[in-house]
Amino acid sequence: MRSKILLLVLMLIFTSFFSLIGCAPVEEEPAVVEKADGEKEEEVEEEVEVIELTYLSLAWQEEVIEAKKDIINTWNEKNPNIQVKYVQGDWGSIHDFMITSFAVGNVPSIFHYYSTPIVDFAGRDFLADLTPLITDEMKNDVFEGAWTSVRLPDEKIYGIPFLWESRITLYNKDIFEEANITPPTIEDPWTWDEMREVAKELTVDKDNDGKIDQWGAGFGLRKPAGMMLNLSLGFGGGFVKEEDGKHIIEVGEAEKNLMRTLKAMLYEDKSTTLDGIGLSGTKMLPGFYEGKWAMIPVIGVWARHRVTTDAPADFNWGVLPPLKAVTQAQGASTQTLSIPKDAPHQEEAMQFINFFLDTQNMAKLAQGDWLFPTRKSSIELPEFQTEEHGWDIATASVEHLKMGPWQLTPGFAEFQSRVMNPVLVEFFHDRLTVDEAAKRIEEEGNNVLSEYQ
Amino acid sequence: MKKTKFNKIVTLIPSYLAIATYIIFLVFPLLWMLSVSVRPEAELTRLEPSFIPETVILEHYATVFSGPKMIQSILNSIKVGAMATVGVIALAIPAAYALGRYSTRINKYVIGWVLVSQLFPTILIMIALLMILIRLGLTNSHFGLALVYMVWTLPFVLLMLQSYIKAIPQELEDAAAIDGATRTQTIMAIVLPLLLPGIAATALFAFVSAWNEFFFALVLLREPELVTLPVMLARLVGREGVARLGPLAAASFIATIPALVLFGFLQKWLTSGLLSGSVK
Repeated sequence: MRSKILLLVLMLIFTSFFSLIGCAPVEEEPAVVEKADGEKEEEVEEEVEVIELTYLSLAWQEEVIEAKKDIINTWNEKNPNIQVKYVQGDWGSIHDFMITSFAVGNVPSIFHYYSTPIVDFAGRDFLADLTPLITDEMKNDVFEGAWTSVRLPDEKIYGIPFLWESRITLYNKDIFEEANITPPTIEDPWTWDEMREVAKELTVDKDNDGKIDQWGAGFGLRKPAGMMLNLSLGFGGGFVKEEDGKHIIEVGEAEKNLMRTLKAMLYEDKSTTLDGIGLSGTKMLPGFYEGKWAMIPVIGVWARHRVTTDAPADFNWGVLPPLKAVTQAQGASTQTLSIPKDAPHQEEAMQFINFFLDTQNMAKLAQGDWLFPTRKSSIELPEFQTEEHGWDIATASVEHLKMGPWQLTPGFAEFQSRVMNPVLVEFFHDRLTVDEAAKRIEEEGNNVLSEYQ
Repeated sequence: MKKTKFNKIVTLIPSYLAIATYIIFLVFPLLWMLSVSVRPEAELTRLEPSFIPETVILEHYATVFSGPKMIQSILNSIKVGAMATVGVIALAIPAAYALGRYSTRINKYVIGWVLVSQLFPTILIMIALLMILIRLGLTNSHFGLALVYMVWTLPFVLLMLQSYIKAIPQELEDAAAIDGATRTQTIMAIVLPLLLPGIAATALFAFVSAWNEFFFALVLLREPELVTLPVMLARLVGREGVARLGPLAAASFIATIPALVLFGFLQKWLTSGLLSGSVK
């Protein structure tokens, strides 16, 4: 037993000793040059200031990570005095990470995030104003709709938008052909009512056992708030209005029409599966591959990537343009690059962003993520106009992207998670009427917003 | 005689069934993770996946091991976990002994303060802690992170060890003192050997806490080569929870192995009964 104790104590001492040695700062010794006569002399190097920037990325798919690293390597080769280091972050923890970093001033030089929280960060004075640093070329080439997602009421811009997405409808071509249904075109899109009719037609009990085997549509409604907000613009709503400088949640007739339409498909038409209430858009994809639902309406354009990698090789699918309510308008947030206010070398960081997001590079990043670039010159490139994987139809939907009024609303993220998502899930479970759900969203939502205004 | 044995077996069946059910309940997530980690993508996306994969592949493990710094992150986690565990046990043993053996007026206040310190949510102390560590130059260092884990697990480890020390009969130490042993000799020769099960249990707790911890590691370690495993695993999950399921399951399965090995190693010390028969 005594030997065990001795072993334990020795382990303790050794581990602590080596740990401390491993963590001790290592002082760099000057280079020593041995002269021809054997005498040693310290080499005095000419000092060139090398600026080091850190780029915090949220890319998570291997191809995109590699694409970003390639762009950074190219930059580093071309700019030996401004070296950029790639640092990997993740979507799940970026918010807490950045809040902590801002609080202590230990920030990355450039970070990747998306427009809604960027507007919030800017309002809290965490970010550098990029307005004077943006080149005219970039200003003119990026879609105005993308700029509005990061522009504050004082016209200042705190993030460079570089990726965005729309919601499209994926459909099973074989089921459509079998039912002799002609898909709509970009020029003549379906209205919501037309889509409802088709969904009813495609909902069938194939083996006559009294149970539906194939639904016309499958909506992923696990967290429906984001989808409902974006679609509400097409119905002429937006859930938020501004009165006397205050943001107010309002569920008017436009928003109620959207809510009624979806609920009618669930319970009146019975053309969309109730399983979707507990599933996200991505989780609806396996059922789509298996022919359980003929369409997945209003899913993000990125979902096409999953279909190409996960669906059986013989799965025959296509893309339909955004559905039309009053218009085809959709709310959109953008993925952004921002520079923290406390970060040094902001001009150099912006130089890097200009290179990182030039026409070709932005196109490469958007292709990797199956999203759209925000530059007009990038989206006009052939890879975004091809019929393959529905890129042409998806790309055409960019013209319908708009900034939702909620994006500048303080506390909106909390309203969305604490109020809108749970109330809408109850509504889709048919535990609330449209009016009851609308009332709760307004009352509880405005309570949340009042804490921020 | 035979009847008694038969009755005993019959009585034991429900107990064994209950234990078996509980073990299945505990092991099922691990087996499911293993099953997911060896399936091809096409099987991962089925609406109703089967428990046993139709095709077994090792591609996801290859992805994990060829991926950037995954192995490095496992080694980093082992290093930080080991440092934190050794450190906290070394700190806690004398403190627990003092609290367990000497009854002074401040004991209950010390215990109270230790308990209160457990009530602070992580996020509340994070910013202050980070500022202190920046000033001490301890960010971006495994030692700094291990130090945080030591402090973080110390209260619970202290309370656990204190209860183990209290369970060691005072008479044993008195007997040693009568035989002429000094306090140090008593602790080294009598208390520590009897405390081994307690040390093993608390060490396991400290290691697993450090092994699984995410947020401190995320905020303190900025250099890519220092990152620990939980932070690395989070990077396999994208926006809105969309994940690279195969590699995530493979990496998560690998992540459980060191903790299992450690548990197996410490299990022999987790035996009870060392004290039986020590006093009348």
